[in-house]
Amino acid sequence: MAFSRLELIFILGLSALVLRALPQVFLVGKSFPDTWDRLLRYLSYALLCGLISITLFMSGPRFDAQAAPYRAVALAVTVAIAYKTKSAVTGMLVGMVLVLLFSWLR
Amino acid sequence: MLFAARFRQGMKAAIPIWIAFVPSSLAWGIAAQAHGLTLEEIVLMSAWVYSGPAQFAVLVPLAEGKSAATVLIAGFLMNLRFLPMSTALAPFFRGVKRLPLVLASHVVSASSFIVPYLQFQKERAASGGRSLADGYGNLGFFAGVGASAFTVWVIGTAAGFGVAMSFPTGFEEALKFILPGYFAGLLVAEMKGKTMPLICLASIVTAIPGALFNAGWGWLATAALIAVLGWRLEKWLSRA
Repeated sequence: MAFSRLELIFILGLSALVLRALPQVFLVGKSFPDTWDRLLRYLSYALLCGLISITLFMSGPRFDAQAAPYRAVALAVTVAIAYKTKSAVTGMLVGMVLVLLFSWLR
Repeated sequence: MLFAARFRQGMKAAIPIWIAFVPSSLAWGIAAQAHGLTLEEIVLMSAWVYSGPAQFAVLVPLAEGKSAATVLIAGFLMNLRFLPMSTALAPFFRGVKRLPLVLASHVVSASSFIVPYLQFQKERAASGGRSLADGYGNLGFFAGVGASAFTVWVIGTAAGFGVAMSFPTGFEEALKFILPGYFAGLLVAEMKGKTMPLICLASIVTAIPGALFNAGWGWLATAALIAVLGWRLEKWLSRA
């Protein structure tokens, strides 16, 4: 069954609302085990990192071998600057400038 | 305390969140436009899904027309973290009717969870547990934080769309770097311990062979596997 983008966004929002509202309605007074909390946190970190990787290094179903080294350098610089300055925005801006420069030089 | 007064108190407490939401919502709006989403889709997603990481997770699969199951499962897995957040807030809303609870729960996000949660903990300690009884007052504070942050997020993404429209051609590479670059920076800025960096590094490396094996599911499966392995390893090390 094919869904339009708007329908997918609607279903996605509905599932988010269910996950947000369920504990409010059914889990009042209950606590979420710390160990499961950690697993869910690690799951979202791992998914975000996986996404960062495929967004930067894949082009559709194939590995973007031409651009990957440049983007990897930009990502490494972004990470280093964000770590040093504790500012994601500063890291992102420097990474953007690098990616742009690399794309013009290539 | 009255709901309205607590709502205003929540809005004031949310000012740092507004400041943090401006660049991230702009970044998402710009990236979504660069990936070909329309203004209606961008605003609907921000208002209805209201989850930066989940919106990022589904952006590429949605833009590339990947299967509906890939889009929905990626978003669902990312949103699972709302379960513990919402569970932790629930005891503070004792006595509140279900409808206002369900409506207010829509604005649960990482930022709008942590500010009220810490405030409620502080108030509970100061009042010797009596603040737990003020469910509607607590809901007012939470709604003040959540609703104002939500408004900034939605307006910011729409503004991001407008900003992206005004970029000249030749900047596509930079626009597509915004979201992964921003999230990479966020993850690094809040990195603690040894497990999280290991999980992040392993996920970045294994996502590529995963995606080459299966473009739709590979990276999702490897990320889930790495998270479970990291979690098990941490449990095993803490026992040892």
